[in-house]
Order: sequence, then structure tokens, then C-alpha cells
Amino acid sequence: MTSSERTRAEIHVRGAKKSFSGRTVVDVDELVLGDSAVEGLLGPNGAGKTTLMRMIMHSIPLDEGTVTLHKRDGSTITLSELPPHQMVSNGVVKSTQVVSDFDQLTILDSLLLALATPGDESPIRWKAERELAKKHEEEIRHQLDRFGFGNPNEVAGSAGEKKLLDIVRCLLLKPDVLLLDEPTAGLPDDITQLVMSAVRELALGGTSVVIVEHDLEVIWELCDEVTFMAEGRVLMKSDPETIRNNSLVVEKYLGADHA
Amino acid sequence: MLDWLDAFLISGLFGVVQIIGLGLLVHLQMGLTRVANFGVAGFWGLGLYVFGILYGKVDWPFGDPWQFLVCAIAATAASALAGLFVAWLISDLDVDGALVGTLGFATVIFLLATAWSDLTGGAAGLGGLGFPYDAGPAKTNEFIWFVLTTAIVAGILAYVLWVHRSPYGRLLIAVGTNEPLARSLGKSSTRAKLTLFTITSGMMGLLGVMQAVMFRFIIPANVTINITLAALAGLILGGITRAWGAVVGVLFTVALFDIVIQFYVPLPQEWYTQAIPVAREAIFGLALVLVLLFRPKGMLGEMKRPQLMRRIHDFK
Ligand SMILES: Nc1ncnc2c1ncn2[C@@H]1O[C@H](COP(=O)(O)OP(=O)(O)OP(=O)(O)O)[C@@H](O)[C@H]1O
Ligand SMILES: [Mg+2]
Repeated sequence: MTSSERTRAEIHVRGAKKSFSGRTVVDVDELVLGDSAVEGLLGPNGAGKTTLMRMIMHSIPLDEGTVTLHKRDGSTITLSELPPHQMVSNGVVKSTQVVSDFDQLTILDSLLLALATPGDESPIRWKAERELAKKHEEEIRHQLDRFGFGNPNEVAGSAGEKKLLDIVRCLLLKPDVLLLDEPTAGLPDDITQLVMSAVRELALGGTSVVIVEHDLEVIWELCDEVTFMAEGRVLMKSDPETIRNNSLVVEKYLGADHA
Repeated sequence: MLDWLDAFLISGLFGVVQIIGLGLLVHLQMGLTRVANFGVAGFWGLGLYVFGILYGKVDWPFGDPWQFLVCAIAATAASALAGLFVAWLISDLDVDGALVGTLGFATVIFLLATAWSDLTGGAAGLGGLGFPYDAGPAKTNEFIWFVLTTAIVAGILAYVLWVHRSPYGRLLIAVGTNEPLARSLGKSSTRAKLTLFTITSGMMGLLGVMQAVMFRFIIPANVTINITLAALAGLILGGITRAWGAVVGVLFTVALFDIVIQFYVPLPQEWYTQAIPVAREAIFGLALVLVLLFRPKGMLGEMKRPQLMRRIHDFK
């Protein structure tokens, strides 16, 4: 490894501000995400967690500030200047908090969609479909088996299934930075465990994972570091134990009666 | 030979095949990608007129079939470029914006065809066109042209069927059903729409070329919204999201009315000038209303991805 290469990709947020109709929703001076393998982003409802993630993905424009990506190969790129569809090719991927799916597409369709490159999606590439399915056959079977999807040739039915499908699409994109916005909300316990182990596996492989979750068990169990946000600001960043016992966090979020 | 064919029947069948071709292309735009196109007549008409002007007004140093080929390619390219340009204009707009943009484009083409009479002949029309071959009697020539056009439309149908089974089609459906989600998966929805419109508008232009040759004479009345409406009505009736939707729908509207009823049902002669054109629009409209009321997804119904995926892959 040369000196400029790093083990994990990092996202640097600087002076990032966003307000909606005059109300400041995100106001982050300085935040580095990805300096540890799995990082939690914690905060009460309306703290601005989702908004911050969407600003990182540039799916909403910033009022002020910049977001930069420091890649594993040592290069740097300003994400806040790129259109949203160029995040994936730079290795940055986000799951959605609100259940979101393609109405007509089957589960298998969704996986193939995530896997297809612009070359596969050429309007005149004759055998693209077979080649695509063949090339990724093992990976597709692996993901289908692991998460116990029903029939891959059906459209995802329940909200839980759609949510899971969203996460699997993200996994297939092999991100360097993966932002998960409440990935396990609405999933049954056994599936939650599967998602968590998939996240751990990904982190071991060198992906920086940032996870927003109200299910605190998930946070304490998975995260190496936790950032605490309230009212649009980052109030502290530390190891889970410290966050858990911090009086400010207890007062603003956890409540006095947390275990 | 060909005794059973009369000139009216050939032109009726030719019209049916044309509308099917246009309907198939609109299916890719509106059925899969959900970009509204009310400007079909414009893209088609641009091909028709560019071909007509180049073929009829320019002195080419070579004769047919080269003259035809060069003019046809230029006309197709003109429509493709227009498609690229219009798609770029409307790519970020919602359905209403796309509708106004495409309709506006078609209106511009119609106005140019009417007003730029030095080039287009205006309302008096533009002649001097003909088949790029001579196989004998007019009827034989027309029949050959009809077969060629049918082959092109069959090719379009084959392409549409392929699109449904390709990663490209999946991309179009993804962009159509959830554009922000498609973008978050790294798909450039803008690029997808621009490519789609370039290809499909070019094909519409080529169909316009085929029309110009068949009728040897073109007038602005050829390129009105009627042709857009016929393609849309057929497609929606058959099933806008289905590959065969345009084929089925157009057979049940344009073909049924223009051929079966007009040729084989004995109607009083005096109806043809006044009553029939009005009745045609009224019946298409009524059919559309009935289908939308009782079978809103069209005669063929919903898109059936599960069945299709099961047929082409064996993941279980
Ligand atoms: N598009 C928008 N227009 C107006 N207000 C918005 C918009 N998006 C978010 N907000 C507001 O910004 C604030 C922060 O929202 P955000 O969704 O980022 O919070 P969050 O931390 O993700 O909350 P939760 O834990 O409930 O998901 C909220 O008060 C919300 O109402
Ligand atoms: Mg949120």
C-alpha cells in the first residue's frame, strides 16, 4: 500500500447547510464518516439524519458547504458537484428510509437491474440479458438463498420484502461507502439478524458503513463509533459506550429509563 | 396475380401497418418509460417532408435506388436528431410538460409544412415522388412497397419484443416507474430517455419516408394530430404496457373500421365523404372510453414481468 492509499473510503462533510422554508434542518460544520468500519448516526426524529444522507448523495442540493469523498485509492472527488446518478460509479450507495420499489419489476428484475452496467443496458446489445444473468448467476443465487426470498419471479409483495430488496440491491452495487437509513425498520427479527451479518461482512471487506437506526440494539451491537445529531447539528462523535452514557444524549434522545 | 387486391385495400392495409409501427414505438416511450409523446405526427411528418423535399426538389447526380437510400437515411437522421432535441427539452419535465413539448413540436412541423411553401409546396402539396424501382403495373409496385413496409414494422415489433427481454428494457421500465430510485442505483435516466427518443423518433421518420413514397404526393393534411391519435388510441386500447398492445389495439380500431367496415359492409355511397370520417373518430373515441372504463389497462391487461422472467431465466 502506498502512503496515499487508505483502508476505507471516507466522506468529509464541511459547512453543510440545508433549510426548508426558512427553517434550518441541517447545519454540520465538520463531519468525517468512514474512519471506522461501521458507524452509527443517532438522533431524535427530525434531527436531520435522512436529510444529511440525502445531501451526501446530492439527491437534494446543499444551500452551503461541500461533501467530498476520499477514495481508497487516495484520490478525492467532490460529491456535492456530481449528479445523483454518478454516486454509484464512485462507490457511494444509500438505501432509502421510505419503502421504495419499481411497481412492475420482479425481485429478480431488481437484482439484475442493480448488477447491469451501462454497457449491458445498451439499446442494441443483442445477447446482453443472458450474459448478464450468467455472469452473476452465483451471486444472485447466493443473495436469494441467504435472505430467503420467496419466488424471485414475483414482484416484492410486503413492505418488509421491498425494504429487504432495497438493501440487497445496495449490496450488489459493491459500495465503498454504504449509507443505510433505518435498514431494519419493519423487518422481522430473524431477517434483521441476516441484514446485520451482511453488513458486518461488507465492513470486513473494506466498505465504510454508516447506519441510521432507531433500533438501538442494532447500533450498540454493530457500530464501532456513533455520531449523535440533534436539531440539525452534530453534537458528538464517540464510541458507543460513551454515547450511551452521555447525559446530553440521554436527555435529548435515549430518555432516563433506557437500560 | 393480385386480382383480389384493389388499390383501396392496399392503401387501407398500408395505413394499418403504419399505425401499428407508430404505436409500437410509442409503447416504448409511454408504455415502458412513461414519457408522454403527443407529437408522433411531428417526428413522422418530419421524415416524410425531409424525404419529400430531398427526393423531389434536389438534383441528385445519381438515380434510384441510391437516390432513395440517401434521402431516406437523411430523413431518418433528421427525425432522430429532432427526437434527441425534444427529449433533451422535456427530459426533466413532468407528464404535462412532456405533453405540451411534444405537441408543440408537432405543431411546428405542421406549420412549417403549410407555410414554407417554397420548399414544401404548402397546401398545394409536394409531388415528384415515386418508387425506387419499377416492377410493372402500379398495383404491383404498390404491393411490393406494402410488403417492404410490413417488413420494417415486423422488424420494429421484433425489436420491441427484444427490448422487453433485455437489460435495456428493464432500465426503461425502472426509469418509468421510479426515476429517483433508478438514479440512486447509478442509472442515468436522462441518458436513457435521450437514447430512446433518438432511436424511436428515427424509426418514426423512416415510417414517414415509406408513407411519402407510397402516396407519391404529400400535403400538410397528412401530418395532423389524427395520426398521433390513431396510434395512441390503438395502443391504449390494446394495452399500453404490452409489447403486442399496439398490434392488437390497431387491428381492433383502424383495421376493423378502415378495412372491414368500409370495404366489406355495404354502406350508402354518399356516406363516404361526410358521415364516415366523423363516425370513425366517434367510434374510436367510444371504444377508448369503454376500454378505459371496463379494462383500464387495455385489452391485453397489465405488464406481465413474472411470466416473462420465468420464461427466460431459471432462478427459483
Ligand atoms: N423536503 C422537505 N421539505 C420540508 N421539510 C423537510 C423536508 N425533508 C425534511 N424536512 C424536515 O426536516 C427535518 C429533518 O428531517 P429528516 O427526515 O432529515 O429527519 P430524520 O432525522 O431522518 O428523522 P427520522 O428519525 O424521523 O427519520 C424534519 O423536521 C422534516 O420535517
Ligand atoms: Mg430519517
